[in-house]
Amino acid sequence: MAAVEKKKKKLLSPVMILIYVLLILLAFIYLAPLLWMLSVSLKDNAGVMSAPFSLPETIHWKNYAEAWRLGRLGAALLNSVLVCGATLVISLFFGSMAAFAIARMKWKLSELTHMFFLVGMMVPVHCILIPLFVRFAKLGLTNSRFGLMLPYITFSLPMTIFLLTGFFRTMPREIFESAAIDGCSIYGCFFKIALPLCKTGFFISGLMTFVGNWNELLLAMVFISDPARKTLPVTLTYFVGPYATNYVQMFAAIIIAIAPTIIVYSLFSNQIVEGLTAGAVKG
Amino acid sequence: MDKLLKDKKAIILFVTPALAMFVVILVIPIIQMFYYSLCDYAALTPPVFKGLANYKKLFFKDATFKIALKNSLFFMIFSAVTQQIIGLFLAVLLTNIPRGRNLFKNIYYLPCVLSSAALGLLWAFMFNPKIGINQLLAKIGIKGPLWLMDSKGFIVLPMWVIAFVALWQYVGQNMMLYMAQITGISRELFEASYVDGASKPQAFWYITLPLIKPMMITSLSLNCIGSLKFFDLVYNMTQGGPNHRTEVLATQLYAEGFNYFKYGYASAISVVLLVMCLVVTVLIKRVIKVETYES
Repeated sequence: MAAVEKKKKKLLSPVMILIYVLLILLAFIYLAPLLWMLSVSLKDNAGVMSAPFSLPETIHWKNYAEAWRLGRLGAALLNSVLVCGATLVISLFFGSMAAFAIARMKWKLSELTHMFFLVGMMVPVHCILIPLFVRFAKLGLTNSRFGLMLPYITFSLPMTIFLLTGFFRTMPREIFESAAIDGCSIYGCFFKIALPLCKTGFFISGLMTFVGNWNELLLAMVFISDPARKTLPVTLTYFVGPYATNYVQMFAAIIIAIAPTIIVYSLFSNQIVEGLTAGAVKG
Repeated sequence: MDKLLKDKKAIILFVTPALAMFVVILVIPIIQMFYYSLCDYAALTPPVFKGLANYKKLFFKDATFKIALKNSLFFMIFSAVTQQIIGLFLAVLLTNIPRGRNLFKNIYYLPCVLSSAALGLLWAFMFNPKIGINQLLAKIGIKGPLWLMDSKGFIVLPMWVIAFVALWQYVGQNMMLYMAQITGISRELFEASYVDGASKPQAFWYITLPLIKPMMITSLSLNCIGSLKFFDLVYNMTQGGPNHRTEVLATQLYAEGFNYFKYGYASAISVVLLVMCLVVTVLIKRVIKVETYES
């Protein structure tokens, strides 16, 4: 009874009201630009110039069709999905193997190897840009989705290994011991026991690396110049520049580009957030 | 069991793929970058060793580099200070409200997962001299500044605009990290302090703050490294202009390397960037650790 009263009091106190007003205002600052962008993307260019902040009078769906065609968004979307998807699978596979060896197996250099991968998190992508570009140009790996995947996988590995090592370490020893007694090989332990038990870890590190690669601009810009192979963020730079005036299509293109992330985020926001923090807290 | 876990062949098999990628794509290029930075290397001709010539030019002759360095440092300090304070403030607010915590948290974190390239375009439009915010200001009789084209002052106005947009986009990350740490503190600790007559601000000062120090290292490092290598927003909002006044290290590196094809010179910039990242990380660890021991 007392607790209930206390709660009521807490809800009504002026400080709480002030806090909520502040939080709602801030939420407005966060959501308004995104909603406004949606509204602009449905206007025509004249309407944007005369009254950018009013709601569209007639809805121009054709902006989306135009943006899709002009920005080659179909190809870009496909490229992004292919590159990020393959990167996701490969980095999770390589990362989980390394993480398993680091977390579970006994060897002298295991801590050192772990450290080595973690230092990778501090290295900015910019540092490898030129040497890698030079080498890839010689090998014919520029302008290729495979070439772009290689650095993506490499830069996804530190985070993946870091998170998965944490997950593998929390697994009880006994599962592996009893499996070993039953004649299970080390590969069996990995594929049949560790991997299935690590679904959450895969999910979290997968989502995080996927989001990161999906938004990556610099590497994609440098490595891919063929319009047919560009990824989504690069395609958007088509609309950049002080003289780009086709605003409605630009906004339609932006909406198309960020829609997949918003959908994934609203479906899995709690897991993404937990994953991010789980990783950081352990570190 | 131990024999199974010490299986050398399996260990090598497990670690090699990741390690090989790391060495080939990360370690070797970094070594090459150091070498290129000592060379005159213009894309089509092979690199010629020139010693420290690139660095001399960079630090003593290049006016653009000075601007880029200044802007990057400004950006790092501004981001670190504002994002840490506001992030922590939001985390404290959100962990203290009875309802709607997840909703607000998810809203504030949303821009962190969105593409900076896309959001940069959105804000560039908002700060356009004729449309966007200036149109709103005109309605109430204020003539808005040329947000992204102004070039006066030590830190030019466009840099401030970009820094605020970055704050808007990324403060959610710090908030999230601090929230995780604060919710990890046992409630009993707070209750005990309230029984002893501590006020909420006192509890924050004497309990929360010391206990989230480890997170400060993580969050501050992520913050500083993130802002040093910042590229997307600047590229899509100003492209370094007007007249190089909003150039940061990453955009200058890109321009030198891939607009002017001065690979050696661009490599020297990336060496500076890498060294700055490492120094900042080490510095943060040192400074915050010392404080923890003292308290």
